[in-house]
Amino acid sequence: MISCTEFIWVYNELFRYLEERGGEAAVIAFWQGISEHFLGNLREYIAAEGLKGMHRYWSHTLGEEGGRHRMTLYDDLFVIDMHDCPSAKLIHQAGRVDPYPKYCEHCRWLYPPLIERFGYEADMDIISCEKGRCRLTVRKPPDAPARNT
Amino acid sequence: MANVHKDFHGALSYGLQFLEEHYGPEGVQEFLSGLADTVYRPLTEAVRAEGLPALQRHWQTIFDLEEGDIAMDLDGDTLLLTVWRCPAVSHLREHGYTVAAHFCEHTRIVNEAVCRAAGYAAEVTYDQEAGCCVQRFWRAAP
Repeated sequence: MISCTEFIWVYNELFRYLEERGGEAAVIAFWQGISEHFLGNLREYIAAEGLKGMHRYWSHTLGEEGGRHRMTLYDDLFVIDMHDCPSAKLIHQAGRVDPYPKYCEHCRWLYPPLIERFGYEADMDIISCEKGRCRLTVRKPPDAPARNT
Repeated sequence: MANVHKDFHGALSYGLQFLEEHYGPEGVQEFLSGLADTVYRPLTEAVRAEGLPALQRHWQTIFDLEEGDIAMDLDGDTLLLTVWRCPAVSHLREHGYTVAAHFCEHTRIVNEAVCRAAGYAAEVTYDQEAGCCVQRFWRAAP
């Protein structure tokens, strides 16, 4: 059994393998597939509670994954400031694998497209993959239904 | 202590399914076998240097972290690992994630690749539906 504690390295190697076999398009197709088929629970949280649901989802996942971050929830805005991403840290600092150069891009393909389908604006700013720093900003447009907060 | 985020089993399951659909069983075999030289290089080197106690230690650590229900028996040149309740399959089923059609094959392929690189051999019999398996490891004939 590949342990969930080893998964991040396997993920990195899978990105590399897919790129070797099918180019960057294959990697992106995989990321889009993950977003479409694997993140059903995030979709459920957003559908039920909007921005609060996002806060709830990432409180759980980031709580389990570790790392250091700050989440900010306003009525119309949800922000994750990632200071020390546990995933990027394993890739870049553990010395276990040769980092896939675009490793952090997976978050850009996984989350904003999914969130935008609910009518929000979402930006994933990767500040430094090596240092594990990024920011996800989700905005509710002014004319969005109130139930989506 | 390592962070335990079991939803990663779901991402792995999706990844294995994606690989098989796009590159066939050969792609799955090639990708997973390659992990012996990358992700599992420390384990491969430990088994080569110390033998089966290193593998026993690895499994104990993993299944303790993931709260698997297992039994292990190291008897001379053979290590027997019985998994009564696989944490990965259990988590996938409990949380409604799709279990890749040949999910448990990853255990066979990775075990064989790691052992081959370390001078050992491995076999596994599993029941994916039940989420249990028996894995056996032994020193390969020279």
